[in-house]
Amino acid sequence: MTADPIEGDDTMKRGPTRRDVLGHAARGAGLVAFGGAAFYLTSKADADGVWVIDPEKCINIRLGATGIEACEECATNCVLPMSAVRAVNDFAKCGRCCICPGYYEVTSDTGPDGLPTRKLCPRDAIERVPIGEVDPEDPLNNFYDYFIDESLCNGCGKCVLACKEPAGLSSLRLEVRYDLCTDCNRCSIAMVCPEDALVRIPADPA
Amino acid sequence: MVPGLLLALVVPAVTGESVLAQYVRETDVVPTDEDIGEGYKTPQVQRPLPRATWWDAVDAVVLAVSLGLSAWIVMRRRNRHALVALTITCLLYFGFYREGCVCPIGAIQNVSVAIADSTYSIPYVVIFFFFLPLIFALFFGRVFCGGVCPLGAIQDLVLLRPVQVPRRLDKGLGILKYIYLVLAVWWAVRPVADRDFIICRFDPFVGFFRLIGPGDILIFGAALLFLGIVVGRPYCRYLCPYGALLALVSRLSWRGVTITPDKELDCGLCTESCPYGAVDEMRAVRSSCLFCARCFDWCPRERVRQEGEAAGGNRLTEPRESA
Repeated sequence: MTADPIEGDDTMKRGPTRRDVLGHAARGAGLVAFGGAAFYLTSKADADGVWVIDPEKCINIRLGATGIEACEECATNCVLPMSAVRAVNDFAKCGRCCICPGYYEVTSDTGPDGLPTRKLCPRDAIERVPIGEVDPEDPLNNFYDYFIDESLCNGCGKCVLACKEPAGLSSLRLEVRYDLCTDCNRCSIAMVCPEDALVRIPADPA
Repeated sequence: MVPGLLLALVVPAVTGESVLAQYVRETDVVPTDEDIGEGYKTPQVQRPLPRATWWDAVDAVVLAVSLGLSAWIVMRRRNRHALVALTITCLLYFGFYREGCVCPIGAIQNVSVAIADSTYSIPYVVIFFFFLPLIFALFFGRVFCGGVCPLGAIQDLVLLRPVQVPRRLDKGLGILKYIYLVLAVWWAVRPVADRDFIICRFDPFVGFFRLIGPGDILIFGAALLFLGIVVGRPYCRYLCPYGALLALVSRLSWRGVTITPDKELDCGLCTESCPYGAVDEMRAVRSSCLFCARCFDWCPRERVRQEGEAAGGNRLTEPRESA
């Protein structure tokens, strides 16, 4: 070992004292303890876990729109200023209806164009895009795509609850956005979810 | 009755006169791309992936490098300015960029759960973050507290008018962190239904890193920062459960901070300089020294050494006659 120019080290001259030996032994024991514990834990570790919403449990996802209020715990309980939960439209299941019950508040007054006057989304996060040319005489039988603007959606779940049979085809669901989720030990949405629908599963990047 | 048609019939019935007739196409089955026609393709459902695992490796490397830098700056360079630069870097990365997560303090509970509950899966990065600062503490002391911990950093930066806490009060309050450590472990090893990650929940500063948090915790954090203007790092010294672990482990540390570079002048300026009450009889106490490097700035011999180095030599090692 090189002499330390800062710390005048006279133990080098006298040889190791009992104190030095005990110190080394204690450090060695500490290293073995930490190393052993870390090794034991590594053997049962995984890359990471993520929070997901179990669609079988979430009441917004599984229940029909039978006059009940949407559960909005996901929107209001995340530790982030804007919840990490988003509504997602599964296009493979979407009926592409003219009057989408997730887009329109179907019980609101009908406007001159025959469509409901109010939208369901409180944040206007859903965009309604007609597919191809729309026949103005028969818009009902055209197809519409519904895109969710994820910068506006906060996962309140109103549209998810509304898009259920008989009115809809349950194409809307709620998902935790992994790119936003801070992956808390104790997910504050999970703490209040009435159905325990937020569950932690191993991350699978596939 | 076809369910999709039900709504279509209800809507015109309510409104009376409507330009809309009713759905002729089936709305209770999903239209295929061919039904829609005109070369329509079903859009992709957006599906963001979890944070890539290699980012965990980046976090681990940043932690290891900053721990090494913190030890090198304090024990070799002995320079407070360099340490403040490291402190700010780590505050920005671990605090504001990573939003205070993952951190060794909260990892106490993850590690405790993983040891107690064989079904609990703990991420590799959490194991690494928990053990590496402890291993550094075995060799050098609390280097993590000095330049790396974002919670320590935010408190160190607000410490503008340090006062000395009476030694007895300091010792008494210091016991709180051991109680907190025991509570944290106890709450972690309970059955899953009663488990509570209290360290993360009552983390006073994570709300500032995320720019949002529960009101009571934000007030608690603001109060600690306000108190921290005069009392050096109140969270680290009196509450931090990981600080308790590091204080225990650093008692065994191989090296620690040595204040004077050569001989003592018995001036006692270092004792006065330490806002954490960690200098006792002009020696840095390893269990409470937070590696802030303030004492070097105050030490007259250290100043002589650094001026000498700046002048191109080391005046301390030169014989008095040739100086």
